[in-house]
Amino acid sequence: MLLSFFEWLEASSLGVFMKDLPATFAIVEAVHLMGLALLGGTVLAQDLRLLNVILRDVPSNVVTEQAHRWFKVGLWILLLTGVPMLAGVATKCYHNPFYWTKMVALVIGILFVFTLKQPLLRADHATLKPASLKLMALASMSLWFLVAASGRWIGFSG
Amino acid sequence: MNSALLQFATWLSERSFSVGLHESFYMYNWIETTHVMTLMLSFGMLAIVDLRMLGLAFANVPASKIAERLDKPMLIGFSIMFITGILLFSAIPVRTTQSLWFRIKVILLIAAAINAWLFRGYLLASKGSWDADAVAPRRARIAAGLSLALWCGVIMTGRFIAYDWFDCGGNNPAFIDWAAGCVAAE
Repeated sequence: MLLSFFEWLEASSLGVFMKDLPATFAIVEAVHLMGLALLGGTVLAQDLRLLNVILRDVPSNVVTEQAHRWFKVGLWILLLTGVPMLAGVATKCYHNPFYWTKMVALVIGILFVFTLKQPLLRADHATLKPASLKLMALASMSLWFLVAASGRWIGFSG
Repeated sequence: MNSALLQFATWLSERSFSVGLHESFYMYNWIETTHVMTLMLSFGMLAIVDLRMLGLAFANVPASKIAERLDKPMLIGFSIMFITGILLFSAIPVRTTQSLWFRIKVILLIAAAINAWLFRGYLLASKGSWDADAVAPRRARIAAGLSLALWCGVIMTGRFIAYDWFDCGGNNPAFIDWAAGCVAAE
């Protein structure tokens, strides 16, 4: 059932487009990496601020609010390039454990940011427990690192 | 010069650590993953500084504060990039030396470094007059836009090194072989 969806995706015009020329995949892949740098950078800026490592003299509310805007831009770039990449190699990904690791971590990451982290961080950070802010920062960094690293590993294990 | 570079690369490729990196099952992948993951620190911090100059992020925080505070994490990131990059080159020196994309990448890196160095001087000399402005002056915006474009180019050419489109010995136009510095086999 799920496999047939992946087979359909690879045979779709998007899948064919991604496979037709080797350069198409490579260019989309490079833009995906730019999105990764932007998303990862904004995650690190927020989480390292919450851990009091960087930007200590900028209010943490300002850092998380500003960085989150560009986090969303990064996420859109990644999704809009990630779906075509998947279409190009869908059946390969279906059989790749790192692909599924990445997808599970990605779904948890998105839910974590939009239903837990951001709603909480919109409050004045002074009213939140420092320990919970730090724990949240560690959880966020670990999650997004897992998403990115398992993503890189899809290519090694093809 | 191309044959001298090739001679050096060949010598390097015969060192045991180069062979070890190349043949190890996981080491190369780990170094490559570290190289890619560190983009988040190096390019990530750089992008935030450049977006600040363009007035697109942290407009309510002084520009020099963002640039100065993110300088250290960014340089840590670029140091890791440089070290892992040298290791990746050492693992596959002969092919990389004659890679068109690697050569373009090095040129873009040098251009980005010159741009950053010039901008640093400008920022230190003039920040007092525009530090608190939401959008930096034109000259700072040009430097920031150029920096973003050059680093996107570095990421793209870096990724392309892995593809064998223009490898020496393939059926390339003479111009490509010249730019990649292919040395004819003796």
